[in-house]
Amino acid sequence: MNDASRNLYAILGVAPEATADDIREAYRVMARRFHPDANRNSGAEVQFRDIATAYSVLSDPGERLRYDDARRHFSDEPAYFSLRAIPSKRVLGTLVEPQVLYLLLDIVPTQRAVANRRSTAPMNLTLVLDRSTSMRGARLDKVKVAAHHIIDQLSPQDVLAVVSFSDRADVLIPATAVTDKTSLRSTVSVMRAEGGTEIYRGLAAGVAECRKYLAPRMVNHVILLTDGRTFGDEERCLAVARQAAEDGIGISAMGIGEEWNDEFLDALATTTGGSSAYINTPRAVLQFLDDRVRSLGDAFAERLQLAVAPDADVVLESVFRLNPHPQPLEAEQQPIPLGTLEKNRPIRVLIQLQMPPSSKAGFRSVVRLDATGDVLVAERHQYKVISDIAIELAHEPSPEQPPTAILDALGKLTLYRIQQKAERALTQGLPLEAARQLENLATRLFAAGQDELAHKAIHEARRVSRTQAFSQEGRKSLKFHTRQLLALPAPGNDTP
Amino acid sequence: MKRCPYCGVENREGVLFCEECGQPFVGQAESPDTSQLDPGNHEAFKGHMSWGTARFGEDASVLIRIRDVAEPLVFAPGEETVIGRRDLSGLEPPDIDFAPYDAAELGVSRRHGVIRRGEDTLTLVDQDSTNGTFLNGQRLIPHQPRVLRDGDEVRMGRLVFNIFFR
Repeated sequence: MNDASRNLYAILGVAPEATADDIREAYRVMARRFHPDANRNSGAEVQFRDIATAYSVLSDPGERLRYDDARRHFSDEPAYFSLRAIPSKRVLGTLVEPQVLYLLLDIVPTQRAVANRRSTAPMNLTLVLDRSTSMRGARLDKVKVAAHHIIDQLSPQDVLAVVSFSDRADVLIPATAVTDKTSLRSTVSVMRAEGGTEIYRGLAAGVAECRKYLAPRMVNHVILLTDGRTFGDEERCLAVARQAAEDGIGISAMGIGEEWNDEFLDALATTTGGSSAYINTPRAVLQFLDDRVRSLGDAFAERLQLAVAPDADVVLESVFRLNPHPQPLEAEQQPIPLGTLEKNRPIRVLIQLQMPPSSKAGFRSVVRLDATGDVLVAERHQYKVISDIAIELAHEPSPEQPPTAILDALGKLTLYRIQQKAERALTQGLPLEAARQLENLATRLFAAGQDELAHKAIHEARRVSRTQAFSQEGRKSLKFHTRQLLALPAPGNDTP
Repeated sequence: MKRCPYCGVENREGVLFCEECGQPFVGQAESPDTSQLDPGNHEAFKGHMSWGTARFGEDASVLIRIRDVAEPLVFAPGEETVIGRRDLSGLEPPDIDFAPYDAAELGVSRRHGVIRRGEDTLTLVDQDSTNGTFLNGQRLIPHQPRVLRDGDEVRMGRLVFNIFFR
């Protein structure tokens, strides 16, 4: 309860020198913003719990003294990462109608903390590989090559497990330190394709292997690679993922070919802060797996979580991770898992809020953002940064151009959303509406210079209006490639 | 609220891209509130249920209605239909010639734009014209095709016309 690693003053938004009156007043303001009776947003409850704890400690002179004393250990703690938020408008007009406000949030490792890092964090990695009959041939061969490649890249301080599955799971390599690479490689080579696809078996065995070496100082991650659709065990898989998320294990999912269930793999990944991807050629397996492992190897902090707590009259509409690995996030499930913070690539999130009608000019608070994560190289757990976002309202604000970064991100996100709308229309039995959205998408893709995807959209529009169905390849292609447009260039080109 | 100039859907204040069709709301001039057809002319197209569609059927033809000109131009587009203004320079004349409609004064280039026929769609491509081509108020990037829809308003220089599929 009285945990000195947490900055209770920051939670109440007061300075450490605050008087008892300051603290009482701050609590009053915070309670008005976040008390569950006043604020029904799902992020508010989490905040209020912290606020109540902070107040109970800081309002008691004896406890506050003990806390201050214990807190001294952390007085010279560096800032490990920080939050930077840019609003789509600096000054909002006072309006009698609601208005939309976007926030572009960057979670950035601080330069000093990155420079001081001792080494990269060790990895506790489990590969869960589909070896069902449909993987036979080029697919399985490329998966083996990719697995070999990963074995070569790991070092003796890393832990690797490999599970293969069809309608049953085989632990090919139990979780073990990567010392004897030759024998690990040959074990992977014997994998043979046969049987159906039951993801639950593979996933459960994989998470169990990963859990054996589970350590907060490590990057604990399961990568699932499948080409199939699992039947009837989705719920059990998601339960495994939720438990994994609680234990601090991330799951990334990659679908090969056209059969697999993308919504299910999305849900698996989103639950744990991982990512999902679409691989349309066996050749791309290596690249994707390599990119994912490299990203994990660059981990600065793990198990990042973001809580978005809007003020009572503000509505949180959506949260989307733009970078790394673009992924829609579940705003209802708070705090929101974000996965790994790499040392030279910020996590970038776009938050869409709806502001209430308002007639009063001046500054007002909008939302509290709270990011927590385990800083691997410093072995600092649950490091927390809080940022309260306020915005100015004016009766006649001067016109301003939204920041380019927001326009750019939102423009691309819009493409992804149109595609999602088309899918939804089709599921609702509205093929004409779906075709219309796909034509819209084509128009926007042409405008964005994405001619190839635009043609694909036109092709699918035509197909949908004729057959009332997408082609599996076309639908996945549009979904994951419009999503992929959001990805920023990989680190290296990134300016700090 | 603001109305999307492209699809007409009302969006909330602060929205930067139309939530219905993705049309960007910033970085360009407000599109003027114009002219589909006047109600009288609209009668002629009654029963034409696919208004707004981008689908262009195999034996469909294109009808161009220039603003303030009574008689529409109708043609069956080939693979490429050049739109522009014929002059005496000896350049090959365009397929659709706007010279009779004061094209020179209105800033239409000799080769202003091209309508390309795809499998089931038409696209409009600006040929790097002097005064630009605008589709529903949005300026086209030269040489970058944009899908045409039934009813679209096109502006070449200051000459405005609507395109209908029939």
